Amino acid sequence: MPARIWRKPLDADKMKRPEAEVHIIEDNCKGCGYCIQFCPVKVLEESGNINARGVHPPRVVDKSKCLICGFCTSVCPDFAIFVTEKKCQDGCEK
Amino acid sequence: MTATQEPKPKAKAEEARIGVYVCHCGLNIAGSVDCEEVAKFAATLPHVALSKENRYTCSDQGQDLIKADIKEHKLNRVVVASCSPRLHEPTFRKACEDAGLNKYLFEMANIREQCSWVHLHDRKAATEKAKDLVKMAVAKAGLLEPAQEIEVPIIRKALVIGGGVAGIQTALDLADTGYKVYLVEKQPSIGGMMARIDKTFPTMDCSICILAPKMSDVGHHPNIELLTNSDVADVKGYIGNFHVKVLKKPRYVTKDCSACGECANVCPVIAPNEFDVGLAVRHGIYTPFAQAVPSTYIIDMGLCLNKDGVVVCDRCMKKCEREAINFEMKPETAELDVGTIVVAIGADVFDPSTLLNYGYGKFPNVITSLEFERLINAGGPSGGHLIRPSDMQIPKRVAFVQCVGSRSDRSGRLYCSNVCCMNTIKDSLLIKEHWPETEIYVFYVDIRAYGKGFEDLYKRARREGVKFIRGLPSEIIEDRSSNSLWLVGENTLQKELYKINADMVVLSVGLEPRKDSELVQRLLTLSRTQDGFFMEAHPKLRPVDAATGGIFFAGCAEAPKDIKDSVTQASAAAARAGILMARGKVTVEAITPIAFMEKCKVCGLCVKVCPYNALVLNKDLKRLDIIEAACGGCGTCAAECPSGALTQSHFTDEQILAQIDAVTEENADKKIVAFCCNWCAYAGADFAGVSRMQYPPNARIIRTMCSGRVSPKFVERAFARGAAAVLVAGCHPGDCHYINANVQTQKRVERLWKKMEAQGLKKERLQLLWASAAEGERFASKVREMQAIVDNVSHEEIDKAKKVFEKALDGN
Repeated sequence: MPARIWRKPLDADKMKRPEAEVHIIEDNCKGCGYCIQFCPVKVLEESGNINARGVHPPRVVDKSKCLICGFCTSVCPDFAIFVTEKKCQDGCEK
Repeated sequence: MTATQEPKPKAKAEEARIGVYVCHCGLNIAGSVDCEEVAKFAATLPHVALSKENRYTCSDQGQDLIKADIKEHKLNRVVVASCSPRLHEPTFRKACEDAGLNKYLFEMANIREQCSWVHLHDRKAATEKAKDLVKMAVAKAGLLEPAQEIEVPIIRKALVIGGGVAGIQTALDLADTGYKVYLVEKQPSIGGMMARIDKTFPTMDCSICILAPKMSDVGHHPNIELLTNSDVADVKGYIGNFHVKVLKKPRYVTKDCSACGECANVCPVIAPNEFDVGLAVRHGIYTPFAQAVPSTYIIDMGLCLNKDGVVVCDRCMKKCEREAINFEMKPETAELDVGTIVVAIGADVFDPSTLLNYGYGKFPNVITSLEFERLINAGGPSGGHLIRPSDMQIPKRVAFVQCVGSRSDRSGRLYCSNVCCMNTIKDSLLIKEHWPETEIYVFYVDIRAYGKGFEDLYKRARREGVKFIRGLPSEIIEDRSSNSLWLVGENTLQKELYKINADMVVLSVGLEPRKDSELVQRLLTLSRTQDGFFMEAHPKLRPVDAATGGIFFAGCAEAPKDIKDSVTQASAAAARAGILMARGKVTVEAITPIAFMEKCKVCGLCVKVCPYNALVLNKDLKRLDIIEAACGGCGTCAAECPSGALTQSHFTDEQILAQIDAVTEENADKKIVAFCCNWCAYAGADFAGVSRMQYPPNARIIRTMCSGRVSPKFVERAFARGAAAVLVAGCHPGDCHYINANVQTQKRVERLWKKMEAQGLKKERLQLLWASAAEGERFASKVREMQAIVDNVSHEEIDKAKKVFEKALDGN
């Protein structure tokens, strides 16, 4: 069914997407880069910081892209990253 | 069958006993041709055992006379000089068969359409020409050979490509008749365009409500195997025996899916839903629409987070109670053997963003008629509320612009798309039904309300206050602040300019051939019209047959049409395919190639030019297999063979050379030897006769099935025998009855031109004409034009050509 698609879908804004909070325990990180490499939506990149172990831990590029799949947690050998859903007390939902 | 026969013995011309019948056809022939003289002349020709004239040879008495003579005078060849073989050849062939004579021992001389009717006022010249035509027919008749038509079995299974309403109807009809049907659909669900439309004209039925039961029938029918999300990858074989490979793309969801939809609710990724033309979103795991068949969900792997076998996200899997999700699914290839194929691939809609003056793709409130259908549909993204995409408000003034991508040079689509006028009228009534206060303008070129109940609907729309304005807007301008639109143009009925404001503009987009029709064309060796839609075998009398045997068309694949016509055509295609399969076998006309393997140099040129893949050359074994059932009978292989190892049955080299020799025996320097293909040029010449178009009596037409049969040596022979000019005429490029065999015609003529120029001959003495069966005038004016060439060619030039081509005189 080709017929070019160019519009923003009318209900695109109505789709509720949970907001993510990415927690990075910087000093646990040994800089393997698995989380950066395996994130399916490329939320992470290497930061310029140097942690206690002398490596560059990851940092979040765009939090809104995170789908909370938790794959970064699964692949991290050092338990240095985890993601939680942001709790909305007074309506983070617009 | 293999073609390793011995070289054929030279036809036993000395044993031929030919009966010639010159028909008066009342005064149709006798009015301009002295039939008595022609009959007397025929009696003097070699091998003619008897020659008679009668008033109507095609009458029962005329046929009885032939039958009696065959028995009494031991005739073994029959020539009838009367009308076109395209008209009565089957009649006389049948008469011969009734008398025990093989039907391939019959030959016709066309002295009506191509002689008496086109030379009404020159009795002498017409009579001389008729004599020549009889002489040519007798020369060929002496060399005719009996032939047997072979029978090919037909597999009683059908393949339907495309699961829109046409494909659905064809599949159901064939399956109900009792045949096994494979229905292949590219999309995840069947339903096609009709599933996306809100209401149908002129009855205003709910489209999906009438389609869904049919879709469900397809899903449950014991004789139908449904292959969705699948592509036809390869087709081999021929009428009755196709071998098809279908690529089944993985769905990643098994048949255990109950379509509960829990998986989609947890899927974190979204994309625009193609089914809603992108007006609504869907998830990575989805079903295109609620009534989809099969109802099984599907995962869009382009969108899903799980790539290359790494399961990153398993929310849908965890949610699925029936454990129907399988990320490991691989593509599969299904191999099918079928006897018939129905092509029902439908049409695409025109993309109006190429027409910059309408602003589609730039102005949010300019939408297409397909987007309108989704907006007005209760199951659509806006729940049936017609809303402006810019502010979600219901528009007060709506304008429809017709012929967007139809009937226009600018869009490159010159044809009428058939459905848009009525679709717009229906749409305007739908708006009036829900929001009667809405002002509606329709800008049109012509309103074509041609079908049953269409005019009533048109009148109703006008009664309801829809304003029809003749003259398309030249431009649509957007008011930046309100996103409303101004339409500017000329009202051609009132000869005044208009500038009309609308909240929303609906572009009534036309239909265009599917993007992948070229692929389907190649896979099935079909032909397409200049518009790009598939071409039927005959526009009037075989409207659903493809020129390739065993293949049929249904729905918009053949041309734009509405639902009713698609369904009608679908049932017709099912009936046509059913006839073949019920009979269980098919006979192939005995005009297939004959190979003399001892002459074959295994060069493979014949294989390359065959439009039907009917020749298979085994270079090691030096063996040429001729698949007679696949052969279309164009004879272009025989014309291509450089070593004389191939000829065409019933149109052999020696038969055609004998015809050329007969034409050029006397006064060759005053004559045009014309080779005309049976389907276009010869039919066009017949049409010139039927229309009584007059042209000079200098042309002598030799009929071949395709212009691709005309071997360069035929042209050379004509010049070597002193012919003033030669005409090679065939179907227009792209319209060839044998797919593309006339491409070879062009190449050969161009090669001959080069040769003639190199030898210092005027290349204008060889003419190439493309003329369709309807272009009698084109043929007639070509002959008139060539009269000047005939008049101006000098004896020296003729002698020079004789010398240049003298080699062509050797051998038969």
